[in-house]
Amino acid sequence: MSRVESELRGLASFVEWPDTPDVATVVAARIAAPPARRRAPRRLGLVLALVLLALAVALAVPPARSAILDWLGIGSARIERVDELPPLQLIAPVELLGEPTTLDDARRRAGFPVAPPPRGEAAPDGVRVVDGRRVSYVWLDGDRIRLLITQVPGLLQRGTILGKLIPPSVTIERFDVDGDGAVFLSGGPHAVYLLGPSGSFEEDHGWLAGNTLLVDHGGATLRIEGQVDRERAVELAREMG
Amino acid sequence: MHQAIAFRIAFVAAGDRGDAEEAVQDGFVKAFRALGRFRDGAPFRPWLLQIVANEARNRRRSSGRRAGLALRAVAAASGDAAPSPEAAALSHERRDELLAALGSLDERDRAVLAHRFLLDLGEEETAAALGVRRGTVKSRTARALERLRATLGEEEP
Repeated sequence: MSRVESELRGLASFVEWPDTPDVATVVAARIAAPPARRRAPRRLGLVLALVLLALAVALAVPPARSAILDWLGIGSARIERVDELPPLQLIAPVELLGEPTTLDDARRRAGFPVAPPPRGEAAPDGVRVVDGRRVSYVWLDGDRIRLLITQVPGLLQRGTILGKLIPPSVTIERFDVDGDGAVFLSGGPHAVYLLGPSGSFEEDHGWLAGNTLLVDHGGATLRIEGQVDRERAVELAREMG
Repeated sequence: MHQAIAFRIAFVAAGDRGDAEEAVQDGFVKAFRALGRFRDGAPFRPWLLQIVANEARNRRRSSGRRAGLALRAVAAASGDAAPSPEAAALSHERRDELLAALGSLDERDRAVLAHRFLLDLGEEETAAALGVRRGTVKSRTARALERLRATLGEEEP
């Protein structure tokens, strides 16, 4: 290194940079806010709906250098290890899960094989459907979502990808449930987003999810999220088989 | 956290604190919404920094402001750690001299030196932030160092 290079490196410690503003709060609010431009009304088969759920958790971002360390996919979900989550705040109106409907109607409109709710649980408090895209069973505890089970069509069938960004605080376990590939995510919140068939990020919101089991079962990917441990989540998946 | 490095890169590109802050906000929101276009396996930080730097450059262009880098040197080295040998060797006068020389370089030269040395970025991240190829970062750095030496009235090493 030449003298001047070495001096420039030394100079770095003396440079008076303006204080870094805290942009996280503003960015989080903007991501959570409805987009200024209203989207066209949702039409069958065209729209990739998104936001399933959000937990009112302020996002703790572990400081770390950033590289994607790992990603793995299962069913129509793509799972990426990241050093930190993008800043995001939560929105969670249950309405975003899709239209409330009956189980029979949801199965008719799903366009892919939909498993019934788990036998061992009480009947869900709600069934929601986004035509051709997603069927969700919701169990409430007061006005909080206690358990959310969502089924999305397999990747090859629809081209939809459910993306998950996993910070280091979250443990990823891979195993199989009766021959179906499965992943259990636990230990902290992770971020979830949906990709459209073109691979672009199609909607304006992501959300934070807690413990989640993903199972690739037949033509659909099953997603079970709630305050459940791995054993209970697997049990729920089996009760749907 | 990427905020500090993103903000400083935006500050170098925009030359204005307020614009830099807005560029970081816009860049982060855009990056979040564009996560789906992010290439699997590619390093995340350069991608993010590139988006922020673009935002900052656009802001400066639309303001019609000439690029400038108003940096000053503080009296004591920042950080809790003991100053590096390079820092310890710099006199107060020499710091001011170097900053003044940097400030007199043209925008490209100043930017590449600021990224490589003041922000301590590698070639890949510098290339991403400046929107050029890695090879260009190498050649531009070498030329900018020559011009800096010339400005300081110093000979080639």
